[in-house]
Amino acid sequence: MADETFDLAGCLERVRRRDQAAARELVDHLYPLVIRIVRAHLPRRVSEEDLAQEIFLKMFTRVEQYKGNVPFTHWVSRIAVTTCIDQLRAQKRRPEFRWADLSENEAEVLDNVLTSERDVAPDDALAAHELVHKLLDQLKPEDRMVVQMLDLEQRSIAEISQLTGWNQSLVKVRAFRARGKLKKLFEELKRKEKS
Amino acid sequence: MNTPDPRWERLIAAARQVRDERDTAAPYGFATRVAARAFAAVEPPFSALLARLSWRALGVAALIALASIAVNYSAISSVSSGNAEDDSASIELVNEIVNMS
Repeated sequence: MADETFDLAGCLERVRRRDQAAARELVDHLYPLVIRIVRAHLPRRVSEEDLAQEIFLKMFTRVEQYKGNVPFTHWVSRIAVTTCIDQLRAQKRRPEFRWADLSENEAEVLDNVLTSERDVAPDDALAAHELVHKLLDQLKPEDRMVVQMLDLEQRSIAEISQLTGWNQSLVKVRAFRARGKLKKLFEELKRKEKS
Repeated sequence: MNTPDPRWERLIAAARQVRDERDTAAPYGFATRVAARAFAAVEPPFSALLARLSWRALGVAALIALASIAVNYSAISSVSSGNAEDDSASIELVNEIVNMS
């Protein structure tokens, strides 16, 4: 968070008394936290500002329910994560992963990953990033969220549990399922490449 | 928990090199707009307002009804005593008919 001296408890108290200036301060303070989550898990064709606004509106609607059992930032993160999952679920159909839809660079990186044991060249990092997101699009929203936080953002199981509100066993089950699906997907892509 | 596929590990290791350098500060006017919408959204809905006004209207109506009974009490009581006289005349008439038969 940018401002370490921010009086969160005092600000929340004022927000509960319906002080609009306090509400503005709270939004400004929490925006970096919320926008990082939104950008990491933003569904296709959804504006990041619209999604951030939806998260903040939910936060204000539920602020009376916040009892202080977890840090307020964790509580807001959970709202952000579940709102992103709801948006991903709303998309219903996940786009099929096809070789034909990949850019030349992406296809080359994928081909290298499938056929050789060499690491991806640093110059291809952007293409690898795009590919990772296209592969993540193939997973169920909850599984995608877990594997993205675990493998891409390198968060611990405990951290993911705190951010999502899911217990650690559930996080592990979702990671297991997601990794299994990714493995199958790689096999399928290799088969299609050969054919 | 299973270990990740080595192909996925190589791909994701490269993807991690991409850093998101975008600004994370709220856009101008965003906080004002959200705060205004948040407080507008928690205003009591129209139906709740209507229900509250209906209870108030019911109380006022009851008071008016009581006041009008108090003001017109003498007129009401005279009408009801007149009715009692009519009732006794009717009873007498019925008795006469019964006796004739």
